[in-house]
Amino acid sequence: MAEVVRVAIRSDADIVMVRQQARVLAKELGFSASDLTLIATALSELARNIVDYAGQGEIILSLINQGGHRGLVIIARDNGPGITDIERAMQDGYSTGKGLGMGLPGTRRLMDEFEISSGMGQGTTVKVTKWAR
Amino acid sequence: MKTPILKQGPYLIASLQDELTDTDLLQLQDTLVEQVGRFRSRGVILDVTMLDVMDSFATRTLRNMVQAVSLRGAEAVIVGIRPEVAFAMVQLGLDLRLSGVQTTLDLEEALVMLDHQGQGWGRHG
Amino acid sequence: MTEEMKQNTEKTLMEELGFTEVEIARRRAFLELGDDDIQELLSINKLAKEYADPVIEAFYKHLLSFEETRVFFQDPGLLERVKRAQKAYFSRLTQGDYDNTYIEDRLNIGAVHERIGLPVKAYLGMYNFYLRNVANHLYEAYKDMPGKALRVYLSLLKVVFLDIGLAIDTYINRREQLIGKQREAMRELPTPVLQVRDRLLIIPVVGILDSYRARQLTEQLLDSISATRAKAVLMDITGVPIVDSKVANHLLQTVSAARLMGATVILTGLSPQIAQALVAIGVDLSHVRTTVDLQSGLEEAERLLGYRLVPVGERTGTNQAHV
Ligand SMILES: Nc1ncnc2c1ncn2[C@@H]1O[C@H](COP(=O)(O)OP(=O)(O)O)[C@@H](O)[C@H]1O
Ligand SMILES: [Mg+2]
Repeated sequence: MAEVVRVAIRSDADIVMVRQQARVLAKELGFSASDLTLIATALSELARNIVDYAGQGEIILSLINQGGHRGLVIIARDNGPGITDIERAMQDGYSTGKGLGMGLPGTRRLMDEFEISSGMGQGTTVKVTKWAR
Repeated sequence: MKTPILKQGPYLIASLQDELTDTDLLQLQDTLVEQVGRFRSRGVILDVTMLDVMDSFATRTLRNMVQAVSLRGAEAVIVGIRPEVAFAMVQLGLDLRLSGVQTTLDLEEALVMLDHQGQGWGRHG
Repeated sequence: MTEEMKQNTEKTLMEELGFTEVEIARRRAFLELGDDDIQELLSINKLAKEYADPVIEAFYKHLLSFEETRVFFQDPGLLERVKRAQKAYFSRLTQGDYDNTYIEDRLNIGAVHERIGLPVKAYLGMYNFYLRNVANHLYEAYKDMPGKALRVYLSLLKVVFLDIGLAIDTYINRREQLIGKQREAMRELPTPVLQVRDRLLIIPVVGILDSYRARQLTEQLLDSISATRAKAVLMDITGVPIVDSKVANHLLQTVSAARLMGATVILTGLSPQIAQALVAIGVDLSHVRTTVDLQSGLEEAERLLGYRLVPVGERTGTNQAHV
């Protein structure tokens, strides 16, 4: 039953595209307008990190249904350099580039569930979930 | 995608379009800074009514634009942040990054504000 | 088949109160209700049948002699039914098998009493009356064996206290459910956003602000700002009982989001104590406009909007000597 959408992320145009795809999918799940915006914003941050730090990667959008509870899962995955210090990367304002350093910590606040796995030379995978209410 | 920029009297009005890419945004910054000098504009209005997402990149670039414009002697105002966008920005923690930036509800309000500030300068100058 | 159905309903009620085998065993262990107690109680089952009628009569005489408890038994038909049930319960006390079914029955009875509104004090008072009554009967029956009377009585106390605990739990459970429902209702209650004049909104926040309500409040406020083109918002928090750092942060976020939209929020109704407590725990309200009460908030908002409040007399210049 799970609908899965894969989007390759290579450039900033893909960021815009994946946002639109997610909106369509999330709308089907009955998310409110403000939830749609929260999702699109989080997605934007994750996709941009792929472009900025790994050059390329992919985003997988899927619907889940857990005991009648429906939600949207976003997996952002790349084989880039990975993050050496995840704890620091999760802090507000920490950036190794010239970003605001709000992408990862902010995404955690925007979504209901947040998981990150990354290591030097191992690429980065972020999995986030938003439950429809 | 190019951002339309309207010149209205002493002001420049940029209407940011939906589906703007990062490249478009950076390009807008260059164009605006250049045009403020060329037209000797007193104010710049960044109309974001159409934007349905304002992530950290957009926020940072807008803030940079506002700062660059003011370095060239013009006031800048961000106009039309949507309710749900404002909510998401606050959740993300971006609100503080815009704490020094003037925002108004709509274009009309922004024009009133800029006119007002213009008068203020006139009186003191 | 019937056995299975019974099991099912039993389960749901017990589950609701969180009664598991383990929990029941724990309660019995805490009361030190053991097999010897059960033997003691079984040994007086016959005696209990004998004193059942006089006890029941005295029991209801006492109940009916107080206005407070009489009101619950106005209907004679009902009274008869209750009497029969009560008698059955009393004799059940000396029949052993204080198992799941027993517990379930007690819970049901407790729930019924709570539902009709019998106060806990009456419930306990009647248990007390019953025990004193039975004590007398035991004393009479075992005149020559005072040790036996005491042992039986102590065993009975254990079972009765088990039952009292169950009954009180059903009372508490029902109240908690009620509170939960009321809280739900409160949550669903939209906070009114009032437009007092052009471009000025007042939003009186009442009740506990958990994250769910805070989000609702913020969204509602932002939508209203957009819909009415509001430039100033008075957020009155006089009706918010608890303002801790969490609530304060919710309020700060609301203020901040409104500002992004171009509206200024003025926070009113922040008591000096709360303000000081917030400062003490490190909540920075320096960027938020606050006023002590709605009145001064209104004045500030009007200044913001460019209105100027002028007394009627001054404005019209008329003489008000005739007032
Ligand atoms: N996909 C990724 N691959 C490698 N490093 C990453 C990735 N995503 C985030 N990072 C690291 O984590 C830091 C924090 O990321 P983020 O919170 O998005 O802030 P910003 O992108 O503004 O720096 C980044 O500066 C970068 O060093
Ligand atoms: Mg980032």
